[in-house]
Parts: sequence; C-alpha cells; structure tokens
Amino acid sequence: MSTSDQERAAAILAALGGVDNIVEIDPCTTRLRALVTDPAVVDAAALKAAGAYGVTSHGRVVQVVVGPEVDTIASALDDLM
Amino acid sequence: MTPQQAARRHKHLVVRDYLAELIATELEVGDAVPSERALTERFDVSRMTVRQALDALVAEGTLVREQGRGTFVAPRHADFEMRLTTFGEEARRRGLEPGAEVLEATTGPASPRVARGLDLDVGAPVHHVARLRTADDTPMSIESSWIPAHLAPGLLTDGVPDSLYAVLRALDLAPTWGEDTLQAADATPDEARLLGMTTQRAVMRTQRRSYAGQTAVMYTQSTFRGDRYSVFVPLREARPMLVPRPARTAPPVPEVLTPTPEGAS
Repeated sequence: MSTSDQERAAAILAALGGVDNIVEIDPCTTRLRALVTDPAVVDAAALKAAGAYGVTSHGRVVQVVVGPEVDTIASALDDLM
Repeated sequence: MTPQQAARRHKHLVVRDYLAELIATELEVGDAVPSERALTERFDVSRMTVRQALDALVAEGTLVREQGRGTFVAPRHADFEMRLTTFGEEARRRGLEPGAEVLEATTGPASPRVARGLDLDVGAPVHHVARLRTADDTPMSIESSWIPAHLAPGLLTDGVPDSLYAVLRALDLAPTWGEDTLQAADATPDEARLLGMTTQRAVMRTQRRSYAGQTAVMYTQSTFRGDRYSVFVPLREARPMLVPRPARTAPPVPEVLTPTPEGAS
C-alpha cells in the first residue's frame, strides 16, 4: 500500500467526520457507502478534494465514489479505524 | 410431471411450459408455434386458456404475433454484459454484426447533467455523438455520448469516427473503470419510432460514467429495447463491512435509523 493511498484514506475519513462519526463503511466495487452518526459534519467538498469522483447523501448514508482503488482505500481505512 | 401433478397446476401454465420447452429445444427464430386449435386439442383446454399461455409468452418477448399470419418465435435477447466494452465489441462477441446510424454530432457547451457526469464546469465544451446502434441490421439501442472537447480536440474534424473508444485508446485515454446506472422506462414516441418498436414499449435506460484512471473521459446515456436486450451482470461476494474498533468507539447514541436506499455500485 502506498503512502498516497493511506493519505487519501485519512483525508476521506476526516471528511466523513472522523472515526467517531462512523457507524460502518460498506466497500462496494467503486464506492464507499458510509453510515455516519451525524451527517451534518460530513464535508462533501473535502471528500472531492480527497479524490472522490462523486458524493451522494441520503439521510445518514454518504456514498463516496472512489473508483477501483476501493480495495486499497478500504484496507487503509480499516487500519485507521 | 405426472398427470396428477399437471392437473393441480393452472392449465395455462402447462400449455405455456410446453411451448417454452418446444421453443428452447426444437424451434428456431421465426418458426411458427402450433396453432391455437392444435393446442386446444392436445391439452383438452379452452381456446381462452391457450390464448392466455400465448399472451404471456408474447408479453415476455419470447413469441411475436403478426397480424393475420400467426405467432412466431421472437429473435433471442442479446445478453450484453455490463462492462467497459463498446456496443460493437459486445455485439461481435455474440456473433452479431454491429452497425451505427449517426443521429447527431456536435460540439457545444456541457449541460449541468453532462458536466456532472464528466467532472466539468457547466458550459465547458464537449463533443456529443448520438447514434442508433444496430445488430444484424435490427435497431437495438439509442446511444448518446459526450466527451470533453479538450481531451480529444479533433474528434469530429473528419466526421464521426466508427469507434469512440478507439479514438480514446489512441489518445492513451482508454476507459479503465466506470459506473452504470440502470432504469426501466417506457419508450418515448420518438424512441419507439427509431428503435422500430411496434407492440412493446418497455426500454432500459442507462447512464455510464467512464474514467481513464482519474480522468472522466466519456458520459453516455443509452436507451435499449426491452424486447431485444438482456443485461448480464457478474456478481461476487460483498466485501466485509468496515466498523470502528470497539475500544475507540464512543458509546452508541440511541437514534431512529433512516431508510438507507440502495445505490448503484
């Protein structure tokens, strides 16, 4: 895993409100689907800046399009959580 | 199936299963199915029961009825896989000869929807190519593609290229990943006319974002005929859910869960 993957994962986690705001994250083929405690602290612009190709929210679920690097990002997220 | 078992089932389902088996094993595309009269005699059922069976197979697209001529085996559905290939490639791999009729080819400002699909600012110049796609000369889909003009400035200079993917590949922008979103819909009158749809109106609409690495290279909206097209989607086991480690989690706050809709993945 490269440093950039870890940095990207850390930036995504921070933009989602940090580990304390995460209930769970479901890694799909091209997306991370995060169930968060407080959707108000999620920073969509910061997710974009972290390399997300798209962000959609519905209630407490935030979908972050990250592309095929989802595997390495998910591994890095697991280490950070 | 024993006669006792058969009797317990709805009679029209027995006729329908018989026809489906016949179509799968003995009949070819374009062959006539046995007449209503032959079927009523064979199964000792009413003509209404036979019609119910035939109607169901017509409705699902297995049979096609031609006014005054009879009921025939419909062309098979093409089971296209949702993956990053072109219509032409997918058609050839199924033994079908792909074709295209250009409906529109322009360069202009990106609409908000296209801009979102291509990670561009609204109004940024994009090439737009709309084509009617055919397989063995049968209309299959209407495909509208947008490509950022700055990525392929000369795309439409010498007319519309046969393959947009080939142009992207030549520019070292071959799509490497993407996302499709699918919806069922009724064809608009224009779509039905272009696609040559007469009795059925069901279509599948897709939106595809294609990326070459980190660059959005193409946004495509397609409308596929419901009576000619099946989608094949390989599945795999879901990855394990990531959850914060217990020691680091704050105590759970009691809260009512909101519904979590399924999105495309």
